[in-house]
Amino acid sequence: MKPKSKAFDCKALRKTVLDMAYAGSTVHIGCAFSIIELLAVLYRNHLCYPNNDPLDEGRDYFILSKGHGVMAQYACLRELGWLKDEAFTGYFADGSDLKGLSDSRVSGLEVTSGSLGHGFSVGVGMALGAKLRGTDQKTYALVGDGEINEGPIWEGALFAAHHELKNFMVIVDENGFQAMGSTQEVLGLGSIQAKFESFGFEAITIDGHNEEAIDTAIKQLWASASVSPKALIAKTLKGKGVPFMENNNMWHYTRLDSETYAQALSAVAESEQ
Amino acid sequence: MRAAFSDTLVRLAKADPNVLLLTGDHGYALFDDFRRECPTQYINAGIAEQNMVGMAAGLARAGFRPFVYGLAAFIPVRVVEQIKLDVAHDQLPVIFIGDGAGFVYSHLGTSHQSTEDIACTRAIPNLAIYSPADRFEVTACMDKAYQSKSSVYLRMGKSDRGDVHSEVPQITEGTLLNVTPSLSSSKTDIAFIATGSLLKTAVGIASSHYPNASVWSVPSIKPINSQQVTTICQNHNAIVVFEEHSILGGLGSAITEIASEFSPRRILRIGVNDRFSHYCGTYEYLLKEHGLDRSTIELKIHDFLGAN
Repeated sequence: MKPKSKAFDCKALRKTVLDMAYAGSTVHIGCAFSIIELLAVLYRNHLCYPNNDPLDEGRDYFILSKGHGVMAQYACLRELGWLKDEAFTGYFADGSDLKGLSDSRVSGLEVTSGSLGHGFSVGVGMALGAKLRGTDQKTYALVGDGEINEGPIWEGALFAAHHELKNFMVIVDENGFQAMGSTQEVLGLGSIQAKFESFGFEAITIDGHNEEAIDTAIKQLWASASVSPKALIAKTLKGKGVPFMENNNMWHYTRLDSETYAQALSAVAESEQ
Repeated sequence: MRAAFSDTLVRLAKADPNVLLLTGDHGYALFDDFRRECPTQYINAGIAEQNMVGMAAGLARAGFRPFVYGLAAFIPVRVVEQIKLDVAHDQLPVIFIGDGAGFVYSHLGTSHQSTEDIACTRAIPNLAIYSPADRFEVTACMDKAYQSKSSVYLRMGKSDRGDVHSEVPQITEGTLLNVTPSLSSSKTDIAFIATGSLLKTAVGIASSHYPNASVWSVPSIKPINSQQVTTICQNHNAIVVFEEHSILGGLGSAITEIASEFSPRRILRIGVNDRFSHYCGTYEYLLKEHGLDRSTIELKIHDFLGAN
């Protein structure tokens, strides 16, 4: 486990996302902002990359199954030194590597996502592999609440529980929105915690923007003596950190102009966290 | 063929503990030997093919060598997107086995029949497609797939048509195998190019009616040696392609695409004529419904050559 440090400051991560979103004139800002604290805590306190090598065979596996939030992960990879500053100022430039959805050819990204419901299963496979090898590697798959509409999530949940993959943790970004509206309007999910519990997971629901609560819950789940796979349900705000983006699904699609970019930067600078 | 498949899989798994067999709750009896010899390398993923393919990708990323088994109607057709994104995108060493391709499940209807699987997979980059015709080609294709350390779809069709080869052939990159070696260098009027179950039919028709026809087996549909295909086209006036698959997007399309660019010839594509089975019955009955029984094929070839 990594020592705690001041790295992965959430304000700085949000600023990076805004900078690249403005540079690339891209969408999906709200999707990235809801998972900033989750990624900050994971990268700062939990994910283990021996020799700071994203491809080290003994690494923990972190899978961003909801590839739409990839800008938040790019921001973290920059802090790790795995991505260069030019990749951010030139985001979406012709011939550039960083795409609008995660691509496994970028070191540090484990899957190619954007089509939803894939990464969870890949993560279950990685966790099964670690179990078969008898290593202590942990696998995390971060999925969106909209994403769990997808059937393979529940196929994989059955498998993970049946095979007692206690080294597997799904983290659900429950921001309450998907592309066309609220999850409640589109395809109501009910209690996500109860659903995963009924599949045999050990589950905890927390405030997904409270770093201490996230950290404590992850530790608590891993400390469990149970052989169950784990589920961390993170209640979040889509667009968290910029009041005019919060819970406003327009920011799944809207691009920044110079005015909204300046307003968003100010809002992040003045925000509590 | 199925014994050759099982024997090869057991041999590979015993030699390499990273070999895993994942099945989508299919393969009853077929895997008895494997489960007995390599019980810890056998995973029944349940009736959940999408998750199974995603898991195979994760296992391959973690250094394992998964074989993913299902009926061709499900593996690959049901999981084309998982194969594309989770596996082929990074050329992960996952081998997909699609069993019962074509009309093997003749009594069960469209859900279990698979005549579009080659078309569905041919356009996926990084994915090789093998289609063995007899037990020797099965062994060769399995070994080649394992050695390639890459993504492979291996299509297994009707398995009891009998041998064409007398030993395991050498399969090099996309090579067509000449099963009439006495005609290898001579120019003849007609070449038969076949894959899978219909190779045996092609050989039978050639020996009965067209002794000067050269007959070629295509165990590797992708990659395919386009130079060799071009040479075959140059050496013959007409080509007949045989496959238990749609005439759209399969071997017939592959040969026609190459020929049209490098050496245009008249090409008759024998295959499923863009239709689903209407009736059920024996395998032979289903072939007849689709015009793939020997006598209908003979008639088609006769008419085709007569129109030359």
